[in-house]
Amino acid sequence: MRLRVGARTDTGRVRPQNEDAFMSRAEQGLFVVCDGMGGAPAGEVASEMAIQAVARELKDRAESGDRLESSPFLPHTQRLVDAVRQSNEFIYGEAQKDPRQAGMGTTIVGAWIREQIAGVAHVGDSRAYLWHRDRLEPLTRDHSLMEAHIEAGLADEGRSLPVEQQNVLVRVLGREPAVDVDVTEVPVKSGDYVLLCSDGLTRMVAESELANAIRTYQDPQQICDHLIATANKNGGADNITVVVVEVTGRWWDRLLNGVGGHLKRTLSRGAMRSSTLNDPRPH
Amino acid sequence: MSKLTLQYEGIALKEYAVGAGITIGRLPDNAVMIDNPAVSGHHARVFHEGNRVILEDLRSTNGTFVNGRPVTRHVLQHGDEVLVGKHQIVFDQNAVAPQPVADGPMQGLGDTVYLDTKQHRALRATLESTRADAAKPVNARAAVPSAALPRRIGVLRVIAGSADQQEYSLDGQTSIIGRSSTALVRLRGWFKPSVAVAIAKHGPGYVATAMGGKPLINQDPLEGRHALQEGDMLTVSGLVLEFAWKEGVRAESAA
Repeated sequence: MRLRVGARTDTGRVRPQNEDAFMSRAEQGLFVVCDGMGGAPAGEVASEMAIQAVARELKDRAESGDRLESSPFLPHTQRLVDAVRQSNEFIYGEAQKDPRQAGMGTTIVGAWIREQIAGVAHVGDSRAYLWHRDRLEPLTRDHSLMEAHIEAGLADEGRSLPVEQQNVLVRVLGREPAVDVDVTEVPVKSGDYVLLCSDGLTRMVAESELANAIRTYQDPQQICDHLIATANKNGGADNITVVVVEVTGRWWDRLLNGVGGHLKRTLSRGAMRSSTLNDPRPH
Repeated sequence: MSKLTLQYEGIALKEYAVGAGITIGRLPDNAVMIDNPAVSGHHARVFHEGNRVILEDLRSTNGTFVNGRPVTRHVLQHGDEVLVGKHQIVFDQNAVAPQPVADGPMQGLGDTVYLDTKQHRALRATLESTRADAAKPVNARAAVPSAALPRRIGVLRVIAGSADQQEYSLDGQTSIIGRSSTALVRLRGWFKPSVAVAIAKHGPGYVATAMGGKPLINQDPLEGRHALQEGDMLTVSGLVLEFAWKEGVRAESAA
């Protein structure tokens, strides 16, 4: 398995500075996006702090130890979650020390891909998606008031929520001494893409457009560039960060797939339909 | 045109056009009739509103779920999986309606605000009571999915080949069969794939995905994502494993 990565962050067209931050370590399979809040300079500080804290915690390539008895997740996923918790404590501690930084916070979404399993952890409204077999699947659910309303069956995509409540987050890093981290694991295969982004993208660009960009451009950096341009074209109201990870096989896998893959997929399509979960779209 | 595909245990039974609107329920006057005691007489309906398609639970006894979470009213997205009783209904929106995107800067995108835990709890309480007024007692509804789930866990039993255990419990979120040191079922040998099969918990069940080598499911190549069912036979590098359910072994697995 090889990973090809594209990443880019942009201030957008409205905000004076960029409070987003990201980390992309292809060789380690570790990717993180943070969206800071709390106004200048604290928001910028918080997102950067979160990245630094996670980077510090996960400096080495995870030694693939045994699964911890107490954790339902694979060791690398559990380590990512622990790192996110530690970065929360760190930011919270720093905010208590310095009144200029009081109230700073940041979202975080991280993906650690090891041995073809992506462990995904998140807090806030930065998102992760999986592109699998021509379909975009959300891997995260925003910790926002809007999402809570939708869950309660009160709002349709939050449109009935007053405008001033549409930006309200119910979980972020750095604002309370402890934080709940949402975790998921998903197998990734050659041809899949993992996309991490801040809400500056998802508020400006519809999910169908994200899917189209992956389908059309295929190259991770071109996908990022196109999506950031689209977000800016649509208003660029917030900072925009996109990290796109393409999972590819080794060169001989790619060669084999290129030659026989399409034919094989075509032939087995009928047989696959009945046993394929979460994948109702005709290929 | 949008359509609904009725499925049972992953097998497509019938397709329905949404048209002006259709109802789903146990009684024969529903367009989508599901003859199962877990389904209410008139359980839910699906209809167009503008260019969106809405799913509405008709105060059913056991609730309507979209992608695993309970809904009373939901704007259907392409690929949404609706669960009614034990049947799945997959929403397919062939005509992808263009999303309205503003030309200029969007309205109302101010600074992100954070609500602390106390404020959030208070707000949630208001939300829940509103929902209770709008529909029916929340607790009764919320209690259904967890109570209805039997406390059971999936296991892999070794039928043929050599392995270090006779039976493996699928406790984790993801269980791996392969050479990897993190694998639940360890394959020995240099040429074995590091990850041959990944088995992930998915709602109440398990989904197997082939990752390397040429694993078989019931003698056929394992392709795409396969929802495991009692008695499924997985063949991985000479090892034959049978998937089975085991009742009430571990309390935490039902949580």
